[in-house]
Amino acid sequence: MIEAIRARVAEKLKELDGVIGLRRSPEGVAPYLFHTEEELAELVLEPRYPMSSVVRLLQKRHPAARFGVVARGCDVRALVEMAKRNQVDPERLYIIGFTCTAEEAEACHCADPAPNVTGWPQAEVIGTPVAAGSPNPMVAEYAQMPRAERWAFWQQQFKKCIKCYGCRNICPVCFCESCALEDPLWVEPGVMAPPFPMYHMIKAMHMSNRCVACRQCELTCPAHIPLTVLYDLIRQDVENLMGYVPGADLEALPPVPLTLADAPIDLDVE
Amino acid sequence: MVASHVLTGKERGAKIIVIDPREIQMSRLADIYLRPWPGTDVAWLNGIMNVIINEGLADTAFVEERTEGFDELRQVVMEYPPEKVEQIAGIPADGLRAAARMYAQTKPAAILYAMGITQHTTGTDNVKTCANLAMLTGNVGVPGSGVNPLRGQNNVQGACDLGGLPNVYPGYQVVTIPDVKAKYEAAWGVEGMSGKLGLTVTEMIEAADKGDVRAIYVMGENPMLSDPDLNHARHCLEALDFLVVQDIFMTETAALADVVLPGASYLEKDGTFTNTDRRIQRVRKAVEAPGQAKADWEIICDLARAMGAPGFEFASPAAVMEEVVVTTPIYGGVSYDRLEAVEGLQWPVPTADHPGTPYLHKGKFSRGVGKFNPVQYQAAAELPDEEYPLILTTGRMMFHFHTGTMTRRTEKLEQEAPEPYVEIHPDDAQRIGLNGGKRVRVSSRRGAIEVAVRVTSTIRPGVVFIPFHYVEGPANALTHAALDPIAGIPEFKVCAVRVEPV
Repeated sequence: MIEAIRARVAEKLKELDGVIGLRRSPEGVAPYLFHTEEELAELVLEPRYPMSSVVRLLQKRHPAARFGVVARGCDVRALVEMAKRNQVDPERLYIIGFTCTAEEAEACHCADPAPNVTGWPQAEVIGTPVAAGSPNPMVAEYAQMPRAERWAFWQQQFKKCIKCYGCRNICPVCFCESCALEDPLWVEPGVMAPPFPMYHMIKAMHMSNRCVACRQCELTCPAHIPLTVLYDLIRQDVENLMGYVPGADLEALPPVPLTLADAPIDLDVE
Repeated sequence: MVASHVLTGKERGAKIIVIDPREIQMSRLADIYLRPWPGTDVAWLNGIMNVIINEGLADTAFVEERTEGFDELRQVVMEYPPEKVEQIAGIPADGLRAAARMYAQTKPAAILYAMGITQHTTGTDNVKTCANLAMLTGNVGVPGSGVNPLRGQNNVQGACDLGGLPNVYPGYQVVTIPDVKAKYEAAWGVEGMSGKLGLTVTEMIEAADKGDVRAIYVMGENPMLSDPDLNHARHCLEALDFLVVQDIFMTETAALADVVLPGASYLEKDGTFTNTDRRIQRVRKAVEAPGQAKADWEIICDLARAMGAPGFEFASPAAVMEEVVVTTPIYGGVSYDRLEAVEGLQWPVPTADHPGTPYLHKGKFSRGVGKFNPVQYQAAAELPDEEYPLILTTGRMMFHFHTGTMTRRTEKLEQEAPEPYVEIHPDDAQRIGLNGGKRVRVSSRRGAIEVAVRVTSTIRPGVVFIPFHYVEGPANALTHAALDPIAGIPEFKVCAVRVEPV
């Protein structure tokens, strides 16, 4: 797999201004903008890292450049959501997608372990798609709980939070320059654990129609809060009630208005 | 980092007991939370052992095979029945019994502590008592057990490992042992090295006042905010002939210095950090240091060369490590090649093929059998009286680190906690007549500060808490420089204060 990807990246480097991927150096693995074929010996696929945030920053810094990116299924879903919100320019991004392994899909409980590049202007996918991972058993367990018990469950979980912002910082579809979670109007500063439900529910609402189920927030959380239980259920609600699946289709508009300025919403509430 | 492991344990069924004068975040997740008076740790720890012995919960096999001095321990702790401990420490007798049973009956059980145990005039006694409790229940030398002192900073352990203490060479080799001295004289090609114990930091400050110490070189420390009794500490530092401060920012202490040497931050240097788990880990330079700033080892080597000292011709931190391992048995098998592994190496690592030591005292203590050191409770050096009726306990909070040299320059953290404050119980607030006032004056025999007030029932009546991070309301203007007679650590956790509305 890695050799096939390196070969394709080498080929695309001839026409692009660089390809974004993960590079292993003696200092560790970090996102990197590859320029030359010689550097590709250091291109790696692990550990997972949200590439959409790196694409966003590099595209903003180089407004005319055409880059490529080496991306997993969840990376592509995040790129799709970022593109809808004008954070990533699809016309200037070539996606070299690759399929996750069956083990990875199972470890992530991933429903969609292969990149879906339908509608992306220029893209390709390397590898053979594997079956979806089994669903997260914690979600089913949680869904059995009565409402009061659910409330108690989250209260207990969020007591562990140390307000490190890791879940937000790692999120591949999080990009606001000024964040409501840092605004004293919404979240009282200096309180530890941060006030529940405000801190966590603001984030959950903001993610409600863009969470692409990459699980990065949960993997990052030093307090081991099972965030994907919350986000999986929100995704289910958004799909069942609004027919929207984040990351699935570049053309589908999210059900929550993207901006208030040009939002076709009717404020007449009857 | 440690709490993260504790929480994982809890989700796998582990029990948590928190004993702290303040209700902390962890106590809200605990199975048992007990609130002692500050400075009564020996009493309630002895009380726990009293219950364990009287209810037959001690690990008698471990005590017989691996320890000595049990009879002496038994004799002392029998003087601490829970009802008597309740009088001293303010912990309900039944709560203490429940904690004793849970700790003794859950195997393995780990004791985790930090400065709340050590920063007392009885700090050494407190630590010995924790060790007694762990040995009494067989909780030593087994994974998941032990007495685990949590370090307040990422490389305190590493600094001590390499001889940053007044009594030892690298690897805890005591300076008063002639063979050790001879070994280092030979290794370093010098003669006449001192075989005497040096001074601890707090003793140096005192000695500066007397003129016995005339120059101090401070690296990455800010005693003008972190030392007890700051007004006196300032007086002592000003009495020096010469003060050098090496730091990454202009600290309160650097402001007093004759020479300031700009150091490099953790992002700007190569080397190793060793934290509480004795794990030697690589730190790697990510960016160049700005301006004239240099890594500490480079500054020290430059200084040595300027003084004409041979033996400081190192090319890199790896070269320094190559010298360290030759004379330091616990680091004997360490090399930068081996440290490439993400998990680093946990000392002792005596040889190049030794895998390291994840936990100590397996099967045998370093002195052979473990010795119980029974200790009687002694009250703190300064207790409340009519003039200063409240106990002040100082400490940290989540959003700032130590003297705030880094975190108070960090906008987002400063937004979380921008000003100094005192935590006080609603009963005390009412008695003092704060009447909803926002600021108070807190005074002790050493000084007075004005800070914001936070009325909270997370602290018991009679006790107030102030974090020590703030120069504009420095808790250490109030604290007492009474020292533990063995370790020389100051009693930051107990002194007497008065709180008044302003």
